Amino acid sequence: MLVHSRTGRWATWIVFFALFLPLFALPLLVIVAASFSTHWSGAFPSGPTTEHYGAAVRGESLEALTTSLITALTASVLALAVGTWAALAAAALRRRGKRVVDALFMLPVAVPSVVVGLAVLVAFSKPPMLLNGTRWIVILAHGVLVTAFAYQSVSAAVTRLDPAYEQAAASLGARPWLVLWRVKLPLLLPSLNAAAGLCFALSMGELSATMMLYPPDWMPLPVRIFTATDRGSLFTGSAVAVVLMGTTLLVLLAVSRIRTRASYR
Amino acid sequence: MASASADSRPAGADETARPSGKRRTTGEPAAPQESVAQRPAAAPGPAAPGSISPRPAPQVPTAPKRRAGRSGSLTRLLWTLPPIAVLGLVFLYPLYLVVEQSFHPDEGGTSLAPYREVFASEAFREALWTTVWIAVGATVGCLILGFVLALIIAFVPFPGGKAVAKFIDVFLSFPSFLITLALLFIYGTVGMANGVWTDATGAASGPFDFLTTPWGVLLAEITYFTPFVMRPLLAAFSGLDTAQLEAASSLGARPARIIRQVILPEALPALAAGGSLVLVMCLNEFGIVLFTGAKGVTTLPMLVYSEAILESDYPAACVVAVVNIAISVSLFGLYRVVVARTGRGATSTLSKGASRVGA
Amino acid sequence: MSRQSAPSSGIRFERVSVAYGKRGGLGARGANGTYTALDSFDLTVEPGEVMALLGPSGSGKTTALRAVAGFVQPVSGRVLIGDRDVTALPPHRRGIGMVVQQYALFPHMRVEQNVAFGLKAQRVPRGEIAGRVAEALEMTGMAAYARRYPRELSGGQQQRVAIARALAIRPGVLLLDEPLSALDAQLRSGMLAELARLHRELPDVSILYVTHDQVEALTLADRIAVLDKARLQDCGTPQDLYRRPRTEFTASFVGNANLLPVSVGTGGVRFAGTELAVATVDVMPGADAILCVRPHLVGLGEGENTLRGTIAEVQWRGSTHRLFVDVAGHRVKADVRELRETPALGAAVALHFAAHDAVLLPAGTGQAATGPVAGETDAEAAASTPSVTAVVGAISVAKGAGGDIDG
Repeated sequence: MLVHSRTGRWATWIVFFALFLPLFALPLLVIVAASFSTHWSGAFPSGPTTEHYGAAVRGESLEALTTSLITALTASVLALAVGTWAALAAAALRRRGKRVVDALFMLPVAVPSVVVGLAVLVAFSKPPMLLNGTRWIVILAHGVLVTAFAYQSVSAAVTRLDPAYEQAAASLGARPWLVLWRVKLPLLLPSLNAAAGLCFALSMGELSATMMLYPPDWMPLPVRIFTATDRGSLFTGSAVAVVLMGTTLLVLLAVSRIRTRASYR
Repeated sequence: MASASADSRPAGADETARPSGKRRTTGEPAAPQESVAQRPAAAPGPAAPGSISPRPAPQVPTAPKRRAGRSGSLTRLLWTLPPIAVLGLVFLYPLYLVVEQSFHPDEGGTSLAPYREVFASEAFREALWTTVWIAVGATVGCLILGFVLALIIAFVPFPGGKAVAKFIDVFLSFPSFLITLALLFIYGTVGMANGVWTDATGAASGPFDFLTTPWGVLLAEITYFTPFVMRPLLAAFSGLDTAQLEAASSLGARPARIIRQVILPEALPALAAGGSLVLVMCLNEFGIVLFTGAKGVTTLPMLVYSEAILESDYPAACVVAVVNIAISVSLFGLYRVVVARTGRGATSTLSKGASRVGA
Repeated sequence: MSRQSAPSSGIRFERVSVAYGKRGGLGARGANGTYTALDSFDLTVEPGEVMALLGPSGSGKTTALRAVAGFVQPVSGRVLIGDRDVTALPPHRRGIGMVVQQYALFPHMRVEQNVAFGLKAQRVPRGEIAGRVAEALEMTGMAAYARRYPRELSGGQQQRVAIARALAIRPGVLLLDEPLSALDAQLRSGMLAELARLHRELPDVSILYVTHDQVEALTLADRIAVLDKARLQDCGTPQDLYRRPRTEFTASFVGNANLLPVSVGTGGVRFAGTELAVATVDVMPGADAILCVRPHLVGLGEGENTLRGTIAEVQWRGSTHRLFVDVAGHRVKADVRELRETPALGAAVALHFAAHDAVLLPAGTGQAATGPVAGETDAEAAASTPSVTAVVGAISVAKGAGGDIDG
């Protein structure tokens, strides 16, 4: 406790909420409020309605939602597979080798997403790897972008994993693959879960690379929100944004509810 | 002395015989009072739910296990190849193509012409400048704001503090462009702030008209990226021994002095790590700028997008991309160094503690 | 390979050296940034023997154990289990049982699954597994907890499961790495007795027991190997090490003896101007030596050998008093039966000890031990006062080795 006087504490809290509420809470509230309104001219929105949600879960927007869900799911699974493999393999390397793998897999975080999009576009626009114009180019780019995060969180978890477990398993006569399958992976499961949630959320909100790549028949939610607001339909855009936030939250919540036996300890 | 050993010998013998004998006759394994009385000893490490291994590694360095066998190290190297090959195909090779294409103007051949052209253009230079100053400004803003907010959450705790921390986590999982969308409603020409102003003063229009200027982007970036500073800070603060603060204040130090001399040194690594990460992310930010939709605000990522998609001038887009990569990757390298430094410091204290407990 | 009924097999270290990379450590640092954790270590553990590796932290004892388990690779030398050179074998092919300080039970498996893990890994026939799991749990008294998860058990219970898990695979060699140090003092003595019983039930299993606790080593071991600074300092039966330590380090680390610098004359020694009689003088006359006397063998009053000094500190330890007496600038410790009246600080007292209770050591053998380590063991001894003396007495009777070792 840094501030001991009662008034001092209250003053501090008031400062906190004076900064926190308008900066962080208000934006999200405003989007929710707008999604239920028809007009916003003045201090508060007017014309309460739920008709934007009707639009947001039908037709183009519904398609965008399923597009986003499929993209995020596929990209997360791919990223998790590659990232986990890389993290496990890198952990067994010596320090210099590990550092190289670390650097390689963290690179997609450093490179601007737009540039990742451009790179994928340049590389996969010609045979033999002609993916441009298909959904796969979007999924691929998302996969690249979230692999770094999957790698990072799994890698951190592998480092934290007490080597005593695998050593105990090995001393009991378990071959390396058995140690991996029956001991290491189960123990890593909570982290894999968390990594999956992170990847999913990131992919759901990905806009930069997607803007470079999306074919007309594969338009994820963020692009849909952009086209809506760009056309001037801010309120529909808000409703779609709320759907995006809601879906992301739901999935994150579901993931955090998954309790594996290893997560109790 | 003879009696001392005689005294305790039967006691020791009893101890040996009793528990095992009881166990055999009753079939009740460990004495029940043990399971109750020794409960605190049951979980020797602090068992945070969700954490995999609450116990730090044993005192012996784990490095040696990696040294075992020369042939083994080759196998290990081979195991890393498949994921690296995948990464190479879908990311590293495409990245190489971008660099390559930046040297190939549309007219054909290999030359520095695209670079000359791009560097000469007013638009590029302005975009570069805009990108850098917004990123630096936003980073400074995030650091100050994040430090103040994290300080209050950590050291002037209030009932909803946990919920606020949770909210910040949720906030981080949303895409950035939502902030710009929200700012349109709050500070837009017919938005909330101007509405309140016109209602209160009766003026025809409000004073807030900065959304389509770089200041709008700056505000959005500070809002969106501040949590990225707060998180590592909160982690660092939770590691700070409150006894230190109490000791300092019992010695008569005022809050400002405690912050400067006790908290700030502890927070510096987290500030450096969070700050450099935010700097990189601001340099790369695209969604916020795109949603701002202002012609007046062009950043490097925006320029890449418009050159490639709107103008279809791929060599130029690639040149801008290369410049952007160069800046961000070098900054990101800096970030990794900072994290590695502080991270190593953290683990060394951790293992120090472990060895003290273990040995 | 049938590891099931492992024939009793000993362990042999042949000039085993282990060096670690640049990461920090306590051992001696070499020129190229590596440091030696174990230096030309030679030791033979006979089949069915309990060998304790005793030493302060950083002495290399855990490294020696991990070299047997295969978690560290020696830079030179060989490790043999039975007649098999296992130096290059990966851990899972060594056929050892291992129990570590933090138990390392798999948190996602029930107790029975933990115990069955090794059997499944070794492809024991399905029908046999249940029986052997039950047997191992029965042996450690954990049968009623088979369906529990490790987190639902107390520390002592977890340790029993860890032992059951190691024993289920019927190893010829059992490695115990500070198995009791995570337990509190009371539980520890219970588990110590339990381990002794287990070894009586499984007389063919060779046990390598790493500990920094002299009481554990003295209680459990057939022989004790004392390590310090990556080297083997001393090795012998508990009685041997306790009564006739061969180095200053052993003398101070095992039982925390008084170590008095003396000069050797013919037939006796001279300490601070006083002639003292000792039973055997095997050091060259005229040389400097160290006289080692256990505190509990020092009594108040005059006797065969008398030292005069003043009381510097008195610690009451229940059944005994420990007196710290300054004798000519040296502090002599004496453990005496509880005194009716606590002697006053600064009071002049006489101390005595018998000639056959004193051991003469050549000077300059492991002097570092008199430093902080001695203080550490002092503190440990304080925590479990009657232990060392009692334990040695008890085991000399129990093992029938009592007799006249002092000769």
